[in-house]
Amino acid sequence: MFKQVDAKVKAALTRELNTGSHAIKVLMAVPKAEQEKPRARRRLAAVVIAFSVALGIRLGIATLDVSTIESYGTHTLVLLRHGESEWNLENRFTGWVDVDVSAKGAEEAVNAGRLMHEANLSLDIAFTSYQKRAIKTLNLALEELDALWIPVTKSWKLNERMYGDLQGLNKAETTNKFGEEQVTEWRRSYAVPPPPIKEDSPYHPRLDPKYKNIPKNKLPLAESLALTIDRVLPFFRQSIAPELRKGKKVLIAAHGNSLRALVKILDNVPEDKIVGLNIPTGVPLVYRLNRQLKPVPLPGHADLISGTYLGDPDWVQGKISGVKNQAKVR
Amino acid sequence: MSKKATLIFSRHGESEWNVANIFTGWVDVDLSEKGLGEAKGAGELLKAEGLKIDVAFTSYLKRAIKTCNLALEAADQLYVPTNKSWRLNERMYGGLTGLDKKETVVKHGAEQVQIWRRSFDIPPPALEKDNKYHPCHEAKYKALDPKDLPDTECLKDTIARVMPYWEEAIVPELKAGKTVFVAAHGNSIRAIVKMIEGISDDVIPGLEIPTGTPLVYELDGDLKPIASPLAVEPLKFGRYLGDAEKIKAAAEAVKNQTKVG
Repeated sequence: MFKQVDAKVKAALTRELNTGSHAIKVLMAVPKAEQEKPRARRRLAAVVIAFSVALGIRLGIATLDVSTIESYGTHTLVLLRHGESEWNLENRFTGWVDVDVSAKGAEEAVNAGRLMHEANLSLDIAFTSYQKRAIKTLNLALEELDALWIPVTKSWKLNERMYGDLQGLNKAETTNKFGEEQVTEWRRSYAVPPPPIKEDSPYHPRLDPKYKNIPKNKLPLAESLALTIDRVLPFFRQSIAPELRKGKKVLIAAHGNSLRALVKILDNVPEDKIVGLNIPTGVPLVYRLNRQLKPVPLPGHADLISGTYLGDPDWVQGKISGVKNQAKVR
Repeated sequence: MSKKATLIFSRHGESEWNVANIFTGWVDVDLSEKGLGEAKGAGELLKAEGLKIDVAFTSYLKRAIKTCNLALEAADQLYVPTNKSWRLNERMYGGLTGLDKKETVVKHGAEQVQIWRRSFDIPPPALEKDNKYHPCHEAKYKALDPKDLPDTECLKDTIARVMPYWEEAIVPELKAGKTVFVAAHGNSIRAIVKMIEGISDDVIPGLEIPTGTPLVYELDGDLKPIASPLAVEPLKFGRYLGDAEKIKAAAEAVKNQTKVG
């Protein structure tokens, strides 16, 4: 039902859609007696909705609407990865270094807000990291949604994975220095962290006033994805989950790896799969959770996860495959 | 052991309706380009002064929220926890909301408008609930107790709803010796400054708070303000950061918005 409809059917449906009466014709095709049975009617409604959704998706009509989304599960959780940063442009390992979004990244944030607005999503509360690329992404998206007034909680627990001694190094140079395999291992291993940041590095977090209240033994000097999850999970349980249980619609604006951590927690993605999971930048990822905070698979959901991205599916697919090629040396 | 605290106010800069010279109140207009610049400027002054903010407070209105965010960003402190409350909103301008300031003077006379703008306890006429500008239509106020949602306010009313928030949310931070940044509006700032400076009911409506320029208070362990030699009349304790001449000129400019002819 949610698979792409083939070209002939699409042409027929387009004609129907243009006459504005396709749903009615489907309904009329069902014998009247059938229509009167409540269960049959519900099934029929589901068919019509799925039909329209499939049609909508195939025709590239942006996005599920909140009414469709909210017919699944109980709680809304939206994840948003910040867009292009200044160091993305320079192809440098960033981690905890507090670089800004680029002009393009800012535009991605505005667009994300637009997509949520078009889906008629409303939000009650937001969480983000201590890093300005995520905070600015959040603020720009909220502004687009006319929701700048909602409470925002910032936490270093949602920061990007701390990249240790690789922070500041150009990705291609690192590949030349250590070899593609070692770099790939550091980038995509589940439990192997990069080398710890050097004591005299200008990027050492103890030099950064925003981390002055973190006890020295908790301040990371390098993180693997596993270690990132170790500090994201308790924060999710203590701070985010209670808001969801109160019925609040939550937006989390964060980073590739802190979001991978959340997705792994939510969908129980296996370790070997989560490392390669690309969460595209600037695309709102909508989850609906049941009362036990387990995700309910949404129509059009991406591979391995229950959440669905907002936006034209071709555009989303393009974004998902776009992230993979950063370490390739020309 | 009680600690010294620092309290910094920043009134948001020029908004789109300042430019259009329209009474704004609770309407959620954006900052103009100039206003955006004023917010950044405020942050630069905070940075130059070496102020390290622990917590920020702002209203539900984007012109203040954006001022807060831009100032914090310019001061390299965007990560600071920020609390938003409708209680720090601008005074609600009732039936004057959306009206052109000079036209209103022509219609009602300068004296009447001056009363509505600068009286302590005479509010403008109430705004009807079916008016498109009434806050009852906005999602941001859905959680408010209906009796808290104003149809109009005089400065006295504004003070009455600001001060509970001051007590419950801001005072505890100051008592803990924190450096607190409040990015808000002319009248919500007047409410708190009135109390700190001990300014009378008849003087406070005329106190002009320049936009963008941070106003800094040092408070002792009992939250008593410490006098500053840099304070500008009628303030005894608060000092503005930045150029003194510019500050005087900015205060005059706000006064001149209802001058006709």
